[in-house]
Amino acid sequence: MSDGPILIVDDDAFVRTLLREMLSEQGHPLREAENGQEALDLEGPPPKVVLLDLLMPEMSGMEALALIRNRWPATPVLVISSMDSDRLVNEALAAGASGYITKPFHPMEIASAVERALAA
Amino acid sequence: MPEYWIGDAEGRVLGPVSLDVVQDLVNTGRLTEITRVSRDGRNWGTPAGFPEVMALLLNAPSPDALLQTERQEAARVREQLRTMQGRPPHEIFRLDRNASVDAYRNAFFKLVKRFYPDRVRAQAHSDLRKAYADAFQFLSRLMVHIERELSTGNHVSPLPMMRAVPPPPPGEDEPLTPIPAPPPQTARPLTVVPRSMTPLPRPMTPLPRSSPLTPDPRRSLLEQTQPLRTSPLDSSFSYQAHEFVGFERRDDRVEVTIRVTARNSRMFTDHPLANLKTDGFFLACAKSLPLGTLVDVIFRFDEERREVRSRGRVILENTGGDPSRPTGFGVRFITLVEQDRRFMQQFVDKTAAH
Repeated sequence: MSDGPILIVDDDAFVRTLLREMLSEQGHPLREAENGQEALDLEGPPPKVVLLDLLMPEMSGMEALALIRNRWPATPVLVISSMDSDRLVNEALAAGASGYITKPFHPMEIASAVERALAA
Repeated sequence: MPEYWIGDAEGRVLGPVSLDVVQDLVNTGRLTEITRVSRDGRNWGTPAGFPEVMALLLNAPSPDALLQTERQEAARVREQLRTMQGRPPHEIFRLDRNASVDAYRNAFFKLVKRFYPDRVRAQAHSDLRKAYADAFQFLSRLMVHIERELSTGNHVSPLPMMRAVPPPPPGEDEPLTPIPAPPPQTARPLTVVPRSMTPLPRPMTPLPRSSPLTPDPRRSLLEQTQPLRTSPLDSSFSYQAHEFVGFERRDDRVEVTIRVTARNSRMFTDHPLANLKTDGFFLACAKSLPLGTLVDVIFRFDEERREVRSRGRVILENTGGDPSRPTGFGVRFITLVEQDRRFMQQFVDKTAAH
């Protein structure tokens, strides 16, 4: 498993804060980006998990997903989106997402998904 | 498969996705504003330039059709709830009888979010609103019950003492009575006149944490964001709707205009949880706003001839239950320009010095 951070990519600062608060006490280093391009511009070790929104400015989450999978092939990407179309879920999973969590999310749900991603 | 990129009024982009996905999102109201469309993510045009997208927008269900659909959906949900009540939980979640607590939680999250109250559009039929709330409540209580049963080593039994949801009296569904619709897509203006801050209220102490099964709705959203834990069988979560976060309904935004003077500038300093140093403020006023409300704030510093705009979210409220504390609400900033933050700090420092 990578020693890198958990990377939170969401344009909504409040959502980033919520996820940061939930994840902070697990001891994982955290990094944040406001959009896909900012995430890809980050330097340092590869993230161990990416939490990725889909609807974002600058670069959409689906585009970011493809580029993140290309840059960090071993890093699982969990999509977190308010878009709950089954077809969109399938398209995101087909594009390489390891999981799809619809907003609103519950702390226990995030915990479980991150643990599963880290264990995979 | 044809691919589309969709842009909304806030400059956000979704794509590439299929036209089927766009259709799903339009029909369910998840995409209400499409301001631009692209087939390659680089060259953009208005929706009018894409007849297939325009057809989706024009064929979106009418308000009357939506209400009919919602009333039928409410009847389905009520029937589903009646079916669930009394059934063994593993059957409700389609799990093995010996399923683990994690398996129950995963199945619970998949099912319960379908009934999350804020997923109902603001103008939705009142029957649907009620049916979703009942279903959400039932499943939340069931999940707590499952954790308790598993923590004592028992097989999970049906949730006891649940009252059956009565069928609606004949004719109750007629006529259609949607709740009044707020203006869509726009912030609701609310000009708040701060109460005099003299004599100054005593600093508020953090609200006490309530028992896990009787959550105190006044707890701040961030306070109730608990550290992640997955292993305990009994998690101390209540799984009520307030524990689910991160979903924003765009028509819930409220605009608040505040005239800032030397007398009320302590809104930025006196509250221990909501102050400028914690990226927020506490507004003492008669009318509070519900927790989680997205607020567009305009601060008018008349003496300085300056206006500061920010967006925040209500993270705590005191509706007057405790007379020793000022009524009002606390907001944490989501967006505040650093230059504006410095100006506000200087204003606070200057008024404090006088």
